[in-house]
Amino acid sequence: MSPIHPDQKNTERLAGLRPQAAAGTATDIGDGSLIEDPASEPPLVLGGRSIQDVTEIVCGYQEKGPGKWWLPAIMTSASVAGIGQLMILYLIITGVGTWGLNNQVGWAWDITNFVFWIGIGHAGTLISAILCLLKQKWRTAVNRSAEAMTIFAVMCAGIFPGIHVGRIWFIWMIFPIPNSNWIWPNFRSPLLWDVFAVSTYATVSFLFWYMGMIPDFATLRDRADKRLRQGISGLMRLEAPELPFMPRLGFNLPVRSDTLRAYIYGFLALGWRASSRHWHRYENAYLILAGISTPLVLSVHSIVSFDFATSIVPGWHTTIFPPYFVAGAIFGGFAMVLLLLIPARELFANMKDLLTLRHLENMAKILLATGTMVGFAYSMEFFIAWYSGNQYEFEVFAFNRVIPDWMSDRGAPYWWAYWTMIGCNVISPQVFWFRAMRTNPMVIWSVALLVTIGMWFERFVIIVTSLHRAFLPGEWQMFFPTWVDILTFVGTLGLFLTLFLLFMRFLPMFPIAEIKAVMPEGDPHDPRGGAKHDDEGSH
Amino acid sequence: MTTYTPAISDEAYGHRLDHVASDKRMRPDNIELPQGAWSGLSRVCMFAGGAGLILTIIGGLAIGPKHAIASYHAAVMAALAPCIGALMLIMIFQLLNTHWSITVRRQFEHLARLAPWIMLLLIPTAVIELFTGGTLFAWIGSEGHLAEMKEPFLNVPFWLLRGVIYWLIIFVLSQRLTGASLEQDRTGDRWLTAKMRRTSAWGIPALALTLAFLSFDWLMAVDYHFFSTMWGVYYFAACAFSALAIVMLITAGLRASGRLTGIVTPEHDHDHAKLLFSFIVFWAYIFYSQYFLIWYSNIPEETAFMNIRKSGGWEIAFYALIAGHFILPFLLILPRTVKRSTPLIGALAAGLLLVHIFDLFWIVRPEVYAHDAWKASLAPGLSPEQSTEAYNAVMAEGPGVFGWWVDIAAVVGVMGVFFAMLLRRVASGPLIPIKDPRLPKALNHRNYV
Repeated sequence: MSPIHPDQKNTERLAGLRPQAAAGTATDIGDGSLIEDPASEPPLVLGGRSIQDVTEIVCGYQEKGPGKWWLPAIMTSASVAGIGQLMILYLIITGVGTWGLNNQVGWAWDITNFVFWIGIGHAGTLISAILCLLKQKWRTAVNRSAEAMTIFAVMCAGIFPGIHVGRIWFIWMIFPIPNSNWIWPNFRSPLLWDVFAVSTYATVSFLFWYMGMIPDFATLRDRADKRLRQGISGLMRLEAPELPFMPRLGFNLPVRSDTLRAYIYGFLALGWRASSRHWHRYENAYLILAGISTPLVLSVHSIVSFDFATSIVPGWHTTIFPPYFVAGAIFGGFAMVLLLLIPARELFANMKDLLTLRHLENMAKILLATGTMVGFAYSMEFFIAWYSGNQYEFEVFAFNRVIPDWMSDRGAPYWWAYWTMIGCNVISPQVFWFRAMRTNPMVIWSVALLVTIGMWFERFVIIVTSLHRAFLPGEWQMFFPTWVDILTFVGTLGLFLTLFLLFMRFLPMFPIAEIKAVMPEGDPHDPRGGAKHDDEGSH
Repeated sequence: MTTYTPAISDEAYGHRLDHVASDKRMRPDNIELPQGAWSGLSRVCMFAGGAGLILTIIGGLAIGPKHAIASYHAAVMAALAPCIGALMLIMIFQLLNTHWSITVRRQFEHLARLAPWIMLLLIPTAVIELFTGGTLFAWIGSEGHLAEMKEPFLNVPFWLLRGVIYWLIIFVLSQRLTGASLEQDRTGDRWLTAKMRRTSAWGIPALALTLAFLSFDWLMAVDYHFFSTMWGVYYFAACAFSALAIVMLITAGLRASGRLTGIVTPEHDHDHAKLLFSFIVFWAYIFYSQYFLIWYSNIPEETAFMNIRKSGGWEIAFYALIAGHFILPFLLILPRTVKRSTPLIGALAAGLLLVHIFDLFWIVRPEVYAHDAWKASLAPGLSPEQSTEAYNAVMAEGPGVFGWWVDIAAVVGVMGVFFAMLLRRVASGPLIPIKDPRLPKALNHRNYV
């Protein structure tokens, strides 16, 4: 480990430096991240950072580690994930009867969790692919971590279809491979399309994420290599946590951590030499993957929505489901991005310079927009349920969801789930109409939490309230989750957090080169980027 | 009224505006059409439009009012779509703070400003429907269980009241946004951009609801048995698609007359075409999702609508629509060369406009003859051959191919009036927002790929 933390060195160097004010700039605009003047654009990197500083900050997170909070955090989340794995083991040993499913409600928390997690991933693809195609420069601050969340969320999602089949040793039959029983999957079933859609999505998202990291792996490799050559790399040291009244325990391992870094990051960097030919191919591949991912992000959640909408169950069959699910997925995904990155901004040194208040404000606006979009879809569903003249469709909405059972004899026992969904998804993001609210990280974080809860409830409402009352009252049954249901879901939350904590510790959390490209130094029209004069207006 | 702190002084900003104005590309003979230009073309359009409308009326008297009113209505909805689509797109551009779109935004604004006036063309439809007691909009005169159930929504006073509300929302939004943009041309006040952005923020949800219910009232309700939650999104897809196509056509025309040199460059075409491409795919996505879910679930109250539009001759139309609205343009616009070539993209845009009109016809026109023929073919106890015979027998009562001149007359009529108004507007002032704060960025726009 290098004796001086590069990030710390930078902080000291920059201590006392004020953000550089450009010529003709008024002084009372704070750090500039919240400029609303149409004549100028807010900077995407604050603190007067140079392009070298960006490298130092991002690599510092891996080289020095995130701080003392990390170990307790990952121990907790890994324990929770472990509980989830135990629940899955218990489920497989015992059978799906350990869940609260019954004859009427055959899908409940399992598919709710599946759709919830698949949705979380969509923000990553939206940021990395669609915002890339739309040339939204601010995406560079969040795309890497959002893409990581995509991968981890799809992993969590993939667990549920696998374990919900009961006889898990037959799960391989979902793949269209010839087998000795001559049983083929039903190609007319949306459940099979799901397998294709989700696995394609997972593959492309992983490639996109990994490919983006290659130059950053090379940077980490080269820095470790340089320190080894300079002879400033220390031996790797294992230390017990600091305890009161105890001597500090620890010993050196016979290997330098930079040696490990040089090898592991070097392996991951796939021989990247940063030649212009490499960059050229990298940019082309990036664009192609963005182009492939964009229809994928729509297709995955559209096909997930087909799981419901192709049926004729009242409450499930409605034509707006595909775009409505996609909007909801992006909504839920952005909420999760904010939920994790707002605390990360506080915990990691100097992250606020790269992930500014402006970025948070933009994402809050996206929450407002997508939240209003799902609100639009809810209202369309409700209106058309009435307008269709289909009595069953309307009654699913009115009496299984909206009207509480304490207001009407036929009212919905699950009214609280419906109103949680409306309150969290449609009403809570409306606070972002006020600028003070969408520039306050605490408020954004709270709304993001509400939205995450609300989006889980949205899937619960769609799945359980539509199923629990069939056409004959004799078939009506309530669903109550068992402790296995609950702990399995909590376990996936733990798994997701564990994976994300590992990502923050060992992988480059920001795309170094892409951030540099959106700085003034990367702009050929800017004097800092090498322009002869301020030629913004002419050519 | 929120006030923001300026990031640069008014003086520095003034210098920047002067700098832009002194750019050689900003000379008047590049960014303005000469006085009275295109007025001849506009007059020709107006004349063709008038002739078309008169022929439509004659057609209505000669062949049948339902045929004429259906053709006219389809054409009006096809002309209204790009206006509403342009209004939506300028609001999206404002909110996303896009730079490349600045040099083409004025054309979108011209379209958006027309929206309330094109909407007035719905009045003749409404008047005829009211006097005839429901010709095309069968719910007006219908009795029966479903009509009664839907009466709280589908009743004449509420229908008209909703029309007025839609008009007011579209009027306020379009005039406010385009008015601010024109005012910025004169004053150079950069805070008008912030004002337009604020209007767009509440304007988008307001227009989204307006558009959805407008499409329910004036398109979906041509068959009041049918319902689809997707319908508003479907019409929006058509709106954005047609707006992009028309603006592309107009900028191609302007460059053919020697304007906008170095201002709307292949770089802008490239982005514009990519956006059009995305809406070609978006339309297909929405069309497919709606059709597919109805087909797969196979519930009678939904499939009837699609069945009518997929029986007899309309079946060819259905496949032609999929080919013309998605497959062909998808393949044609994919190559980079096409996206960056003004003549090719202009020709493509003209074709797409025709396909867009065809889309609206596919929705509205089958109500005239095919609806009844399809019903007759479902009479109980018919064999498949007898069913086809029954269908053909009803269709034979109509004018068949010889009635198409009414449809053509209606399209020429409505589109003639629409283009006459649009061309006059295009020639009425600067072709770009000359003092937009983001103009320098737009002028130097590059794709770098």
